[in-house]
Amino acid sequence: MLLSIVIFLPLLGVIAIALLRGLGASAVKGIALAIGLITFVISLGLYTGFNADTATFQLVEQKNWIPGGVSYHIGIDGISLWLVLLTTFLTPVCILAAWNSVEKGLSGFMMSLLALETGMLGVFCSLDLFLFFVFWESMLIPMYFLIGIWGGERRIYATVKFVLYTMAGSALMLVGILALYFQNDNSFDLTTLSGPFEHSDLLFLAFFIAFAIKVPLFPFHTWLPDAHVEAPTVGSVILAGVLLKMGTYGIIRFCLPLFPDAADKYTPLIVTLAVIGIIYGALVAMVQPDLKKLVAYSSVSHLGFVVLGLFSKDPAGIQGSMLQMVNHGLSTGALFLLVGMIYERRHSRMIVDFGGLSKRMPIFATIFMIVTLSSIGLPGLNGFVGEYMILAGSFVGQAFSKVYVVFATAGVILAAVYMLWMFQRVMFGTLDKTNESLPDLNAREIVVMLPILLFIVWIGVYPKPFLSKMAKSVDVVVTKVQAEPATGHLKNPEMQDSRLALQETQRAQREKIEKEAQQ
Amino acid sequence: MPIEAINWQLLMPELVIALTLIIVLVFDLFDAISKTVLGWMTIVGAGIALWVSIQMHYAGTVGVEFNQMFKVDNFSLFFNIIFLVSTILVTLISMSYLDRGDRKQGPYYLLILLATLGMMLMAAGNELIIVFLGLELMSLSLYVLAGYFRDSPASSEAGMKYLLLGAFASAFFLYGIALIYGGAGTTSVPEIAQAITADDKSPLLLAGMFLLVVGFGFKVAIVPFHQWAPDVYEGAPTTIAAFISAGPKAAGFAAFLRIFMEALPNLQVEWGGVLILLAMLTMTVGNIVAISQTNIKRMLAYSSIAHAGYVLIGLAAANDDGISSAMLYLLIYCVMNIGAFGAVILARTEDGESLMISDYAGLGTRKPLLAMFMTVMLLSLAGFPPTAGFVGKFYLFKAAIGSELYLLVIVGAINTAISAFYYLRVVVTMYMREPEEELEFTPYASTLVIGLVIAAIGVFLIGILPSLMLTPAQNSVF
Repeated sequence: MLLSIVIFLPLLGVIAIALLRGLGASAVKGIALAIGLITFVISLGLYTGFNADTATFQLVEQKNWIPGGVSYHIGIDGISLWLVLLTTFLTPVCILAAWNSVEKGLSGFMMSLLALETGMLGVFCSLDLFLFFVFWESMLIPMYFLIGIWGGERRIYATVKFVLYTMAGSALMLVGILALYFQNDNSFDLTTLSGPFEHSDLLFLAFFIAFAIKVPLFPFHTWLPDAHVEAPTVGSVILAGVLLKMGTYGIIRFCLPLFPDAADKYTPLIVTLAVIGIIYGALVAMVQPDLKKLVAYSSVSHLGFVVLGLFSKDPAGIQGSMLQMVNHGLSTGALFLLVGMIYERRHSRMIVDFGGLSKRMPIFATIFMIVTLSSIGLPGLNGFVGEYMILAGSFVGQAFSKVYVVFATAGVILAAVYMLWMFQRVMFGTLDKTNESLPDLNAREIVVMLPILLFIVWIGVYPKPFLSKMAKSVDVVVTKVQAEPATGHLKNPEMQDSRLALQETQRAQREKIEKEAQQ
Repeated sequence: MPIEAINWQLLMPELVIALTLIIVLVFDLFDAISKTVLGWMTIVGAGIALWVSIQMHYAGTVGVEFNQMFKVDNFSLFFNIIFLVSTILVTLISMSYLDRGDRKQGPYYLLILLATLGMMLMAAGNELIIVFLGLELMSLSLYVLAGYFRDSPASSEAGMKYLLLGAFASAFFLYGIALIYGGAGTTSVPEIAQAITADDKSPLLLAGMFLLVVGFGFKVAIVPFHQWAPDVYEGAPTTIAAFISAGPKAAGFAAFLRIFMEALPNLQVEWGGVLILLAMLTMTVGNIVAISQTNIKRMLAYSSIAHAGYVLIGLAAANDDGISSAMLYLLIYCVMNIGAFGAVILARTEDGESLMISDYAGLGTRKPLLAMFMTVMLLSLAGFPPTAGFVGKFYLFKAAIGSELYLLVIVGAINTAISAFYYLRVVVTMYMREPEEELEFTPYASTLVIGLVIAAIGVFLIGILPSLMLTPAQNSVF
């Protein structure tokens, strides 16, 4: 019941706002924030009630829905837990961030945001393919409105492109889901699915392309910069923070465990695309004159890392990817929020319009600095842990050539280049006259940023609570992808040893970081 | 046959409609009676027939009557439900639409009822001649209805065009029946099925079958026999465009299903591939041409062509799932399409209807209720969950995958994405564009809003609890 409450409480908020919007703007905002916060608090119960010692789905609810194999079947495991929490965490943050920036149709905006939350939570919790697809598609509509109504100048182009790209991908996935249905004893239940499947290559691709568009993996990424730039700040935060993760979540939930053979076969291709995405995203980000576009392209680069880690088929790599999904949601979300805050003041996002802001806005500059460093992957902040685990896992995982890892590591350096360069141009140098009157962050904006900063530091310093809850579930995925379908044996027995060695190094590393942090 | 031997109980829905028809005809003679009363009579009559049909479906009151010519089974009863729901919804959205100027309203309701009776005959026809009779009864009423606004050249043109092309289609159909009679020696559905054995396929039968495909193709607007549809929809009164796109299309498919699945199953090797091809062609052409339309009625016309293509997926699948999902889809389609046309009627100005999509700019803030209805219907037509349109398409695709028609489903799924483009464009216009000129919209008529509310509730109810209609549909496969 707990999980259903978390999923559908925001929808209740939508209805409440629809009925009570006559009460005025502040009431609408109040209801939305209250619903967002209550959902978050209740979702914390998922964390405390979560048993990290098992990989089976927990808090499961199953009810027959439509005769003929469709059930309302939800549950979470160590993989979805964090994405659910990320969603419930970012939504109230977004509601608070949008407090004064929505000029028209405030109730519609809040309703879209809450409806979107229900859709995203449903995607992460569904254990039934039909249910999953329903949430996956229905989540498009509120996002479509968020970008299309409250977006920038080319918002209509951006929103239609976003919806059509996703729909084209999900059309193929629908075919895949239906084909799986007939190989699963006429049931859409995810938990009873077990391979090997007929035409697993094609099924893998049908799912993977849908997810690759969402991630977005190079070369399916072209909708992303448009959508990000045109979306309102909050739309960008949700888009980068949660929506993109639906793609990577789909890969780890469906593509890898269901079709290990096909995943194996396509690994070289996919990893190549991921590495191209890492480098290409970073290079394009470097030359962007627009802050928001820069952050958008940095997403392409970061998500390339996540895909790389997922296909490393190594526990550390996949855990790193999982953690990096959360990290990216936090730091890129925070970056979009910061860009939005500066845009509200100056009505420009062009880097050339700024310079020397650190003198006028010290709080803003400090927070921006922390988030920038987190995005780069500075040790001690969250980005480092995730990226390090991904790269280390890919290196020892032997799923693909180490050359890929070398190139991916170059992406880390490039990230430092484009982020720090951007930071330097915006924050240092001479302060332009037009920028002299810019006020620093107000209390509300600081409240918006603080919880994110808390997690950025927490994950960076002490990631164990995060990793330990996902470990078991990740191990299950790893055994599935490493097992030969016929025998069930591990392909590389020596991998076990290298993994242990890696974990040892990681622990030492972490302890060192903690010690440094204490001093 | 002595009259006492006829099981009249089986004909209850048809009798109720016929009785309503007579009552409307008589009451129309009295000028003192407000003409909206006639509309309400139509609704009550259709409502009773609907209730009776549901009861019969529920109780399993089935049988064959009139020398095996008239077959009441769950299949025909389910289609009765589709027709009667369409009739009720169309009447609801018609009442305020007709209520201006000195237009005669009596014959309008009369013709709607006549057409409904024709549809019911088509669904229950166990004999090609009965199907043809029903088809003609329905079509002739529709020709008049399409040209109902005599003072409007567009309406007259639509009526004329529909008459000419419809007559062609009927001729094809009749010729097909004649050839099948030549090949099988009978026009009775079960006897034809017996006469055709798997190894003995006379060319007469094949020719007759293809002519039937052409005839049905015209009636339900399948590409390449769809050319009449956009012109007729555009010119005909909007309520009649809604009607033509819903009930008669369902009736065409009812007879299509009955004849091909029950009389010609042994020719499935021959017609299966043709239907797959026609389905792909119909969906793709309908959707792609719809993209470039600027007039909303024409857009909905092409969209309804595309939807006929989706229903064909169910026929092409040619299994029980295919039949039931086609039936479910037709029901859903009728509700959402009438809803969409209803929303078009709602957007009326003093000078008439605003039919250009660009006129809808800014409706989202100026007429939120209207924009909401339109959005719900269009999202359902596009097949977004949790609306009924999604469920309908989902089950059609599922049936086709069950018959391993992967390519067909991929084409269908991609078409869904294409269709989202033009449906969403209307939503974009309503919510995201500023109006160029302020149009004065007339106030909402209560009957119209009732009709739209029913359609919207139906769209969400079936979307969230599909088994409400899916299970009856699955029980209705003959």
